[in-house]
Amino acid sequence: MLRSSVKKLLSKHVCRLESTISSQAPKFNPELLNNTIPTHEQKFNPELLNNLNQVDSTKNIHTAHNGEKKMNSDEQLHFEQLAPTWWDSKGSQRILHLMNLQRLDFINDVIQSHKVSLPSTVSGADLYVPKFNIDVFPNEIQKNINNELNTAIYEELGSTGGMSVLDIGCGGGLLSESMARLPFVKSVEGIDMTPGVIEVADRHKTLDPMLQGKLSYELCSLSEKAAQSQYKKYDIVTMFEMLEHVDSPREILSEAWDRVEDNGGILFVSTINRDLISWFTTIFMAEQVLKVVPKGTHHLSKYINCKEIESWFEESFPFEHKILNTKGTMYVPSQGWFTHSCKDIGNYCMAIQKTVVK
Amino acid sequence: MFSRFSTALSFRQASLRVAKQHRKLYSTEVKQVQDKILTDILIVGGGPAGLTLASAIKSSPLLKHYKTTLVDATPISSSLPTFYEKASSDEQFPFTNRVVSITPRNMDFLTADLNLPLMFNRIQPFDGICISDGLSDFNTLTMDRDSMGYMVELLNLQSSAHQKILELNEKFIDPNEKIQIIDNCKVLDIKSPTVEDNAETNLCSDAWPEVELDNGQIFKTRLLIGCDGFNSPVRKFANIDSLGWFYNKWGVVATMKLECPPFSQIRGWQRFLPTGPIAHLPLPNDNATLVWSTTPELSQLLTKVPAPVFAKLVNAAFLLEDGDMQYYYNKLRQVNDLSNENDPIYSEMIEDINYRMEDKSEHITKFYGKNDMYFLEENYPPTVVDIQDKSRARFPMKMFHCNTYVAPRVALVGDAAHATHPLAGQGLNMGLGDSMSLVKALEQASSRGLDLGQTDFVLNEYWKERYGTNMMLLGITDKLHKLYGSSNPIVTTARQFGVSVLNNIGGLKSLMMNIVSGPK
Repeated sequence: MLRSSVKKLLSKHVCRLESTISSQAPKFNPELLNNTIPTHEQKFNPELLNNLNQVDSTKNIHTAHNGEKKMNSDEQLHFEQLAPTWWDSKGSQRILHLMNLQRLDFINDVIQSHKVSLPSTVSGADLYVPKFNIDVFPNEIQKNINNELNTAIYEELGSTGGMSVLDIGCGGGLLSESMARLPFVKSVEGIDMTPGVIEVADRHKTLDPMLQGKLSYELCSLSEKAAQSQYKKYDIVTMFEMLEHVDSPREILSEAWDRVEDNGGILFVSTINRDLISWFTTIFMAEQVLKVVPKGTHHLSKYINCKEIESWFEESFPFEHKILNTKGTMYVPSQGWFTHSCKDIGNYCMAIQKTVVK
Repeated sequence: MFSRFSTALSFRQASLRVAKQHRKLYSTEVKQVQDKILTDILIVGGGPAGLTLASAIKSSPLLKHYKTTLVDATPISSSLPTFYEKASSDEQFPFTNRVVSITPRNMDFLTADLNLPLMFNRIQPFDGICISDGLSDFNTLTMDRDSMGYMVELLNLQSSAHQKILELNEKFIDPNEKIQIIDNCKVLDIKSPTVEDNAETNLCSDAWPEVELDNGQIFKTRLLIGCDGFNSPVRKFANIDSLGWFYNKWGVVATMKLECPPFSQIRGWQRFLPTGPIAHLPLPNDNATLVWSTTPELSQLLTKVPAPVFAKLVNAAFLLEDGDMQYYYNKLRQVNDLSNENDPIYSEMIEDINYRMEDKSEHITKFYGKNDMYFLEENYPPTVVDIQDKSRARFPMKMFHCNTYVAPRVALVGDAAHATHPLAGQGLNMGLGDSMSLVKALEQASSRGLDLGQTDFVLNEYWKERYGTNMMLLGITDKLHKLYGSSNPIVTTARQFGVSVLNNIGGLKSLMMNIVSGPK
């Protein structure tokens, strides 16, 4: 379980082992494009759907873990070399650092608009707050209202003692650290299956006293984590830039969904649409022309369309979820990442809330 | 002209070194016992920029959970509340001599964003500024706009910000959220701890600077903000280079009593004399404040002459010609004991000034104000009758600008990063703009969960936003000073032509006002 960035650098060395796969995968396969708009019978990526029933998740994880162990010494070496650049925002990870800013903006946006409820809906029908247009007030009053609103939002967010966060595929801990610094977050647990990055994350964590006791990392798979923590549930579960790197995204997705708090927990997912534009940007331009991403990082066949995730949720949990927001994201060189509303093109991120009360 | 501030710097470094050596003699055991105190934001300097910044940080819902400490060398915790109490209860409390103009945009920041409890009875909004040339009687440039700016005493601003901090501190229950103000305490040394195991360098996280105070405390801070003025120890620590020069001019400030409060529009007045600009700026009622920039020698004389003579000289400087002024300056140089009010030269001089002013007034009314009996009152500043006791002081004029405002875990704000000639009234405005922008950058970083001390994505955003604006304002001010500092006939003709262009082409003036005091 890795986020793209880990894979980007990892692949430089590790992918030599699997060079046969990587040399074929980046090539654009026109057949795959036909799948971008799923037909009714075949809604998902065939890979997403495979072995729905016959899979034994523990076994699957086990093999994955073995795979890790086999490559261990190589990876260890690789990540020792990688360590200085992981947190270097001007180094090879710059795109990821920039992406992290946009992720946090997205998370903040979603949390602030869906986790905070107006007093009228909380305390009952006694209080009615009519909608009003702040812009008509004088500047001073506008600013005061906005100040008070912001203060109230942050107070409300922190009122329940703070949120718990599970970051799946935390890598070196870019997102985990950022989440842990948010005032309304109580605890962050990051998991990843690569020993090297967990070590970097653990060491980097100690440099900021603000993170002590708030943030912990573990080298384990999602199901191991679940079993260890008595199937603990989290207010926020994040899986950024990770689904396109796993073999059975459906399974991971459903495991992650199990970890989301029943009433109102939010799952954040981001990955890449399987279409011509994604191939052009993430594989052709990024890997082959500009070479900002190592060759073989991405495989078009592993990309998942936004619609596929939506309909997978629709089918598996029809009345238990609510898609809060979906945004397309785009990298503009020298400007950073931007969000746009074309969620079916290129990269995208998604927030899904669990609405069911169990 | 272009020499760097090497003397000031080396003096400061020498004093730091002496202080360090002193400490070394007895501090070893103290240091072992002393625990380093962790703080998130350490602001060095409790001037207007530092105090507004501190209250802005604590007013922000995104930043208030960061532990903030403010250090100042003067006893601000007692002096500012005393001033605030006296000034807000006593209408007649005399005005202090350090007065600045604040643009509407910054006023908005202070009142709307920060809700500072400013004492508005001590603030004078003005609706225009009248700029005249010391070498010609016509060619005045009048820029009028409602509430073009506000004249505010620095102490009013500082004490209100301090009051706001006290208010905020009362609201916080958690002691860690309260701002800790350590006053009457100097910064002895700032250093970056030596990294033992290379962990920081490997992980691209900069070490937290350690700030040693003269009360024995050592602070370790996530972000060190230098609001510590021209001789900034923080800037020295961060090793940030700056470029600038002294103008070889000194400014004389004073609080003045007027004959009567201005009865027409309330304006500021500025006249560019060949020795430097003189500015007469309004305060409430019959008060006004003065900044007279002149040669070092004259500034010394002017701070020592008796108050009635000084008042006459101020009036003369706005009306009479350069030749007259040179004559009076020479007279002053002949006085043996400047403080002796009964010196015959003074009485002679006052008589002469009275005569010359009457003559000139008649002349002006005859030539320019044929149909306007109030011409003199509308185009020349109100008459000064007295100077407030002990309100005269002088300071050297300089211009300097840092090459960058930020370094890892360090940000410079206000006078620590730039200084300018006061002729455009931009010094504090730039400082407040810096505070506003830095808070904005920190808020964004906090919402994104970034480390507030990192330069990339956090502090650089602040620098990027401010450097260009400040550079432009510093440049304009410096060029204006050079343009008006010359008595070369070609230059004077050119600037008179420039002024008439400005006066006759519509829109140019308001464009200039937009730049200086913010868009309307």
